[in-house]
Amino acid sequence: MSKYRITVEGKTYEMDVELIGANGSVQPVAKAAPVVTAPAAAPAPAASKTAATSTGAVIAPMPGTILKVLKVQGDSVKAGEVVLVLEAMKMENEIVAPADGTISILTLTAGSTVAGGDLLFEVK
Amino acid sequence: MDSMWQQSIDRLNSRREAVAAAGGADRIAKQHSSGKLTARERMEALFDDGTFVELNDEISSRCSDFGMDKKKRIGDGVVTGYGYIHGRIAFASSQDFTVGGGSLGEAHAMKICRAMDKAMEMKAPFISINDSGGARIEEGIDSLSGYADIFYRNTIASGVIPQISVIMGPCAGGACYSPAITDFIFMTDYSQMYITGPAVVKSVTGEEITSAALGGASVHSSTSGVAHFVYPDDLSCLNGVRQLLGYLPQSNEDYTLTVPGRTVDNSASLSDIVPADSKKAYDVRNVINSLVDENSFFEIQESFARNIIIGFARIDGETIGIIANQALYMAGSLEINASDKASRFIRFCDCFDIPLLTLVDVPAFLPGSQQEHGGIIRHGAKLLYAYSEATVPKVSLIMRKAYGGAYIAMNSKGTGADVVYAWPVAEIAVMGASGAVSIIGKKAIEAAEDPAAKREELLSEYNDKFMNPYIAAEHGYVDEVILPEETRTKIASAFKMLKTKDRTLPYKKHGNIPL
Repeated sequence: MSKYRITVEGKTYEMDVELIGANGSVQPVAKAAPVVTAPAAAPAPAASKTAATSTGAVIAPMPGTILKVLKVQGDSVKAGEVVLVLEAMKMENEIVAPADGTISILTLTAGSTVAGGDLLFEVK
Repeated sequence: MDSMWQQSIDRLNSRREAVAAAGGADRIAKQHSSGKLTARERMEALFDDGTFVELNDEISSRCSDFGMDKKKRIGDGVVTGYGYIHGRIAFASSQDFTVGGGSLGEAHAMKICRAMDKAMEMKAPFISINDSGGARIEEGIDSLSGYADIFYRNTIASGVIPQISVIMGPCAGGACYSPAITDFIFMTDYSQMYITGPAVVKSVTGEEITSAALGGASVHSSTSGVAHFVYPDDLSCLNGVRQLLGYLPQSNEDYTLTVPGRTVDNSASLSDIVPADSKKAYDVRNVINSLVDENSFFEIQESFARNIIIGFARIDGETIGIIANQALYMAGSLEINASDKASRFIRFCDCFDIPLLTLVDVPAFLPGSQQEHGGIIRHGAKLLYAYSEATVPKVSLIMRKAYGGAYIAMNSKGTGADVVYAWPVAEIAVMGASGAVSIIGKKAIEAAEDPAAKREELLSEYNDKFMNPYIAAEHGYVDEVILPEETRTKIASAFKMLKTKDRTLPYKKHGNIPL
């Protein structure tokens, strides 16, 4: 049970507010508040929505120029590790490995241009 | 008490038992074993403890075709009524999969419509819990007409009361369109929505696909954008509905609750969260969480069109709606899905008088034939339309990039923003330096003895002149350039100033948003 002061159209009311949990248990309102995103937990940037297909092929999320290639074909990578940096839409987008594995295809070099939907690399 | 009383009471009690027994112990056990609650258990979980009151528990089908009169089901497979959520009244319907598979017939639809009519008259939210095999075939077009009655009410109630759909089992065919008209769709991990199911898809197109892959929660939350929230099970899902309603007014004539929370000002951390180098990405959710009341940000559609973030939060206890470009995904550029996602949210907030905070860091609309052919012109136009049309308080913060048409689309001064702030690292320009110099400096570069050096010189000149917020401030497109550590105070004070904002649109039946 939490005490809240609630102002409705300028009138102030004091209320005891309790949240009835789904299992019938009583939880304070604050408990039901959404979990705050862990600060700076570096989630997989840029491409992961379109990238992670079942084959581990990583696709360019948008047209751009390869700024840096940090791995070579045959390297083993961990999920979330940056493989290359795609400069696109005024941003240096870090493109990461979708899963643990070995880079089976990676032919791009710095300066290559790619279209949206092009294969960037593949992890097996 | 005489025996006539006793007989009458016994009869009522036995009918009540029949209602409470729903589809019978076996079907209820089956529902439980598949991880689901029953229709009435869901009502209990949705509303404050012990406040649910059932309406029309005895309504039953009048259909006698195909032996329907022999398997009469009291209640007709749906539970309807009202209760209280955070102490405020709400109406709801909950389909009972244990009774005739929750199939929707004439009487079933009538019960739902009655509860909706009550919600409208009482100006209270309506929550529809869906767990149904679809139209009751025995009742023919009367069941279809039942859907039509619901769609009609959903549409008339749109913008008057918040309407929330909760999908907790199958929701197939025409049944999908009631949720689709409502404001928010919640799904559980084991629910599905599709217009035509896997069997029909296979017979028509030959495509073999599972129901989860065709219309499961994951598909609708990340690919189609149909669902706004996904939860693993019934209890967490209904708790999510309660949480959402905590941010909303009861109707378009009501006010949102003021819920004082911890209002720590973390603005000082903003210059650490956001790199001054606008080529470096960051998670804009960390910016949001530093600005709003602690733990108050409630994100909507978090897996769909992740290049834009939307959700409710509170500042000084008051609900606001937040729209923010997400630099982490597609560099925060605007495209078809992001435009649709943000526009619908802006219009919801405008319907229910929820002020809007827009956090701008946008490079451009995404170029390419896929976008052009997909109709980015008409989809992007929704964003401009939605912002321009919204009469609620509208505050913008230009954090870094604000380029071209995308800058104008993100709640710019000209489209009706009340207050526009910018950080000193903001870049507000018609286009990036490289593109601009290639066009306006073309002749000068070609004529130069050293074209590369000339280009560098022009780039540097353009950057000095335009890569800052001061021209926009001098021309009145930015109201004030502020320091990161001043951000929360400034934004809170702007919303406070705007509380009595009174802007009305000219009389019209309704506008014609480019759909």
